[in-house]
Amino acid sequence: MAANTDLPPGVDKEQVFGMLAMEMEYKVELFNRLAMACFNKCVDKRYKEPELTMGENSCIDRCVSKYFLVNGIIGQMLSAGQRPM
Amino acid sequence: MATSSGIESNDGFSSSKEAEPETPQIPPFRMPTMEEIGAQEVWNNCAIRSVASGVMGGGLGLFMGLFLGALDNPLMQEEMTAREQFIYTAKQMGRRSWSSCKAFAVMGLIFSAAECIVEKARAKHDATNTVVAGCVTGGSMSARGGPKAACVGCAGFAAFSVLIEKFLERHT
Repeated sequence: MAANTDLPPGVDKEQVFGMLAMEMEYKVELFNRLAMACFNKCVDKRYKEPELTMGENSCIDRCVSKYFLVNGIIGQMLSAGQRPM
Repeated sequence: MATSSGIESNDGFSSSKEAEPETPQIPPFRMPTMEEIGAQEVWNNCAIRSVASGVMGGGLGLFMGLFLGALDNPLMQEEMTAREQFIYTAKQMGRRSWSSCKAFAVMGLIFSAAECIVEKARAKHDATNTVVAGCVTGGSMSARGGPKAACVGCAGFAAFSVLIEKFLERHT
């Protein structure tokens, strides 16, 4: 059948949609910042060829993985109620 | 991510916003499909790149050896008939081109593999990658003559490959 609608009591659909919309905005913001940060860090400003070189590719891989790691750590710290450094 | 997707897009100008007629028709940005990404990832693999480089080097060596082998004159030129001279020259060309093909193929393979590995490890696109790769190639090819010959080969080939790289950069 369609999606199961077993919401916990006291939470209505509006709230869920609101939360999902906020989540989507967070994700988009995360992607944009990640792309800008890793681009500024990894890609040389003087373009010599139209495609990403291998060095830039591996730099971007590492940058993205570090960014997600740090993002997860900060998210955990925030949700645990501590102040981020 | 459907909304503004950063780097490769056109700073937010899409063809739907045609308020000013002066903005050129920029096609909307389209994310690459998995096949396109896969096709680009093929050339990121060090093994495939080095094998392809080796094959290209082998082809180059074949033609160079053919050409240089044709210039060789037989030693006993007066005693052979024209047909014998022809056969001798042909054999010489074949032998020379095969040996030069092998040498160039190995050179291309080692250079490409070294450059790929160094570039992936450093995560930078620099001239240093070319220098290290050239040194490794030159050193390994002259390793038979002892450590001093290996050093000379390393420095020489590194300088040569940096020059070729600068030349190709300027002309592409």
